[in-house]
Amino acid sequence: MILLIILLIPFITGLSLLFFRKAATARTVALISTVVNLLLTLSLLNADQSVTYSAQWINYLGIQFSLGYDGISTIMLLLTNLLFPFVVMAGFGRDQKNVPMLNCLILCAQAALIGVFLAQNAFLFYVFWELALIPVYFILLVWGGDDRKAITLKFFIYTLAGSLFLLFGIIYLYQLTPGTHTTDFSAFSQLHIPAGTQNWLFWILFIAFAIKMPIFPFHTWQPPTYKMASTQGVMILAGVMTKMGIYGALRFLFPVVPLGVLYWQNLVIIMSLIGVIYASVIAYKHTNLKTMIAYSSMAHISLMAAAMFVLNAYAYQGLIFQVLSHGVTIAALFYLACLVKEQTGTTEMPQLGGLKINAPNMAILFLIILLGSIALPLTAGFVGEFLMITGLFQQSIWFALFGGLTMILGAIYMLYAYQRVMLGDKKVAFAKATDLRALDYWILVPLIVVILGLGIYPQPIFDILKPVAEVFSGLAH
Amino acid sequence: MQDITSAIQIIPLEHYVFLCVTLFSIGLLGVLFRRNTIIILMCIELMFNSVNLLVAAFSAYHSDPAGQVFVFFIMIVAAAEVAVGLSILVMMKRNVDSVDINLLNRLKW
Amino acid sequence: MVGSIPNMNLAVLVPALPLLGFLITGLAYKRLKHNQAGIIASIAVGLSFLISVALFFMLRNSGQNSATVTLFNWIALGNMNIPFAFLIDHLSLTMMLIITGVGTLIHIYSIGYMHGDDRVNSFFAQMNLFTFSMLLLVMGANYLVLFIGWEGVGLCSYLLIGFWFKNPAYNYAARKAFVMNRIGDVGFILGIILLFYTFKSVSFSEIFTQAATLQVGAPVITLITLLLLVGAVGKSAQIPLYTWLPDAMAGPTPVSALIHAATMVTAGIYMIARSSILYNLAPITLNVIIVIGMATATFAAIIGLKQNDIKKVLAYSTVSQLGYMFLALGLGAYSTGVFHVTTHAFFKALLFLGAGSVIHAMGGEQDIRKMGGLRKKMPITYITFLAATLAISGIPPFSGFFSKDMILSKALEHNILLYILALGTALITCFYMFRLLYLVFFGEQRMSGAHPHESPKVMTVPLMILSVLSVFGGFLNIPSLFGGNLSFSNYLDSAVVSKSSEEIGHTTEIGMIFLSVVLLVVIIYWAYQTYVRKAQIPSGDEVKQTPLQRIITNKFYINEIYQTAFEKPFGLLSNFLFKKVESIILGPAVDEVGTITSKLGDLTRKLQRGNISFYLFAMVAGILLFVVFILTN
Repeated sequence: MILLIILLIPFITGLSLLFFRKAATARTVALISTVVNLLLTLSLLNADQSVTYSAQWINYLGIQFSLGYDGISTIMLLLTNLLFPFVVMAGFGRDQKNVPMLNCLILCAQAALIGVFLAQNAFLFYVFWELALIPVYFILLVWGGDDRKAITLKFFIYTLAGSLFLLFGIIYLYQLTPGTHTTDFSAFSQLHIPAGTQNWLFWILFIAFAIKMPIFPFHTWQPPTYKMASTQGVMILAGVMTKMGIYGALRFLFPVVPLGVLYWQNLVIIMSLIGVIYASVIAYKHTNLKTMIAYSSMAHISLMAAAMFVLNAYAYQGLIFQVLSHGVTIAALFYLACLVKEQTGTTEMPQLGGLKINAPNMAILFLIILLGSIALPLTAGFVGEFLMITGLFQQSIWFALFGGLTMILGAIYMLYAYQRVMLGDKKVAFAKATDLRALDYWILVPLIVVILGLGIYPQPIFDILKPVAEVFSGLAH
Repeated sequence: MQDITSAIQIIPLEHYVFLCVTLFSIGLLGVLFRRNTIIILMCIELMFNSVNLLVAAFSAYHSDPAGQVFVFFIMIVAAAEVAVGLSILVMMKRNVDSVDINLLNRLKW
Repeated sequence: MVGSIPNMNLAVLVPALPLLGFLITGLAYKRLKHNQAGIIASIAVGLSFLISVALFFMLRNSGQNSATVTLFNWIALGNMNIPFAFLIDHLSLTMMLIITGVGTLIHIYSIGYMHGDDRVNSFFAQMNLFTFSMLLLVMGANYLVLFIGWEGVGLCSYLLIGFWFKNPAYNYAARKAFVMNRIGDVGFILGIILLFYTFKSVSFSEIFTQAATLQVGAPVITLITLLLLVGAVGKSAQIPLYTWLPDAMAGPTPVSALIHAATMVTAGIYMIARSSILYNLAPITLNVIIVIGMATATFAAIIGLKQNDIKKVLAYSTVSQLGYMFLALGLGAYSTGVFHVTTHAFFKALLFLGAGSVIHAMGGEQDIRKMGGLRKKMPITYITFLAATLAISGIPPFSGFFSKDMILSKALEHNILLYILALGTALITCFYMFRLLYLVFFGEQRMSGAHPHESPKVMTVPLMILSVLSVFGGFLNIPSLFGGNLSFSNYLDSAVVSKSSEEIGHTTEIGMIFLSVVLLVVIIYWAYQTYVRKAQIPSGDEVKQTPLQRIITNKFYINEIYQTAFEKPFGLLSNFLFKKVESIILGPAVDEVGTITSKLGDLTRKLQRGNISFYLFAMVAGILLFVVFILTN
């Protein structure tokens, strides 16, 4: 029942926001709702993992409205509910149009994302998967920046097209289930599909996730979308929505088409590693701060994808840990990029520079988050990357080496960007730039605490993951 | 009743079929080749009625009243449709001062 | 949580105090006034030093060789178990004493040196953070905790090199240092992972116990040691990853003294000495280390001959001395290497601080061609600098003599060619150091308008203490030739397993020392003739030089080669990928799907032009076709 409550709180609060007129009230209500949800999620961490909720839904198709969670879902849920209070707070004190509607959409997106991570049923999963897209689409379309119509359309159609393959896959699996058909994940995982079928079914299922993550070469929607998205939009998109791809792949591919995964394993790892290098190299000379961060995000996600396919327990836990750490880090980075834009009116790095003189605290926080992103030890990023590279190493030392290149390339492009934005002499144009406001600390400091806290003491996350990791190691053999 | 049925059955079924096909074809060709909307509407009615006739004939030959019930339904629907069609026609005449079907070419994307 | 030694938990305070200092000075950096930050930071490191001393005696009195202090389980999953633990043994204690001891002096010195800089509080915060990371590095009980410190010092080095962030060149140098270190770090972390897979652990004690059972020359050990070596090469600025260290002189001089001379750059030597058991199993790697170390030592010394920036001379000298230490490691004489680390920490820190004092006095001027005659104006700096120069040149009985002589004798044991090269390097070192000394302190003052003055007490007292250490530091490890018992090396023996080798005879050793001392005196005299008597000043950049001179002046064009070979192609590749692959191939490939769809739409749209007659015709034709289709089937 608590799962249903967690799912419904943002949804109902979101819709009720439409009755408010005052922007401040709408924001406060939205914030309270997200904080309550976060607290409920935290209370789940201590509960035994057998809490489920199930109700009759579409009986004649054998589809139930069933919610439940395991270790992976918990992390995803934690990430979602951890980030959304900050997403809502990012709107405070800023001049936005139609605030109640915006917050309504944000909360609906949250509800849909929670649904994706809780669904125990492929059909339900698919419904939420698509549902999440709609509020985000409007957030991007209405509150986005330049050239938003074309970019949003591309984003929408691209992801939607991928999802259709997924739908096809789900229907195909559905009609394979014995007796009165069902779409439960548990039933899917018990299908013993012949190897030949698995080989093509793998791509049908994977393509939607590959686009969502995105991995090379399905990434072209991402940089422009991130660039034009509003602060809140990009925090949702980069922080949580890309993780849907990883989550989906873990949910669908490994239990349902294990032979297909084995068959394509090396190809996908190589594709992902190409993506790592490719995105990192592009990020180096890229001139736009937000696009640069987008490419860096792609590099990190690609590494996670590679780690996912080595079928190694270390890599697996490292990857899920990294999902959390990357989500927090990238959201904080994008928030800072938007602060830079507010202070200077641009995110083009050749025009920036010397911001540290006027905004020393911003520079310091930027640096800390950036270090989390390039996996310095004692930040969360390091724990995840170390485990992932450890896993890659078991497959092949070359995989580990190319995965390890992110550490070098990440340092190259991130520090170069830091220099171009923060360091150097003062530019006259930004003479009026000011340091962080109190609200910015309220957003950035907790995120930094998470980044450092998980880096120093990551054990709680591993404890949550322990049962799934055991299941996974069994699966891998 | 029995008499009527037997009276109808005097004429072989093929004759009804031929008649109806002829009527239908006349209607169809009229729809295809005439430009006057009124004539087209009338041709559509012609096609309708040819089918109605056929349904009635078959109904009689098979001694199944369902067919004749259908005929009534179709006639009612056709009447309603003619009303709609004619009102469109009136609007058309008012707007473009013509009943040429080719002037109604704005129904496109 | 502790071994059997009571109160060993104190060890936690050693890194914790600098961390606390960092937090205080870092969080309150806007509120602290005057010298407050400096005083807080110095006290933090000073207390660490005192605790380290206490630990030293506690460990000695306990009669044990090591103690482990575990804080908590850092990463534990599956059969991977990595505790956040400290290992206190003779090696780490030695390093802790160097770091906190020299560190305290440099912190105190910095109060004077950085006085008046408007970001002095940040400076001390970063210095304390560095001390914390460095202590973590040497105290870690497993490779991963070592790695935390390893990367942490890299970060602090980045921050402090780019301390004056308004200057783009400094920022570039800082980034260069970080990236080059990172290249090494990737090798290092891969080595750690391979260690983990080989030994199912990353903790020193477990690995070294298990390694004892392995065969010499096993491929996996060779690979591990080579990977770890990559890390050491990056951190300790060896060929081919040395170019960042001279550029790192962009940072404030105390930073150069602490990070880029005394402590951080010796982390690679520490790590290899720590892994001595592994390296003893990998003769191939040891040979690689010898080659790298010797090549770096000679190469950097040659470049040092033609440098005119006081800090650059010292930087190349540092690279060269690090090469020396590598040489010692490669010869299997790990404790000798660590001994040279110790003496080098004393005299090189002193040299840098002395250079800082000079720069301070000259109002920021670093070009030795514009100095001269400072002997009278700055007597304390002069005397301490002289002591350090004698020490680095290896004149007995200064500290450098003992450590260098031991490396030379090890080299002779190994190979006569190696000895000749090492001796040659020592002579070159002696020459450029005395060239520096003479040009700065002797002759006439060559800079007009400057009024050099002796530095304040807060700066000179650390200089004096360090000079005492530089002079007498060698007595820690007196070889048996002079009636000593190598107490320093013996002390380290419990932690570092040196490779046993044939001892050379005492007569050979006396002859060797005699030879080198005579040669050194000749070199010093030659330098005196050239730079004091004839008062030759190195020519300016505009004067034409012979090709060889030009090559040396330009540091063998290594920076330029690296730029053309790596940096520029990388930038070009970046642009190429974005402007060509991304914007012309991948992006449009996706957009093309949309374009094609819309083109198709245009095509079919023409069928729907609103002609009702055509619609009707199409409808009838369709029905007819359908009927025909059904009938024919």
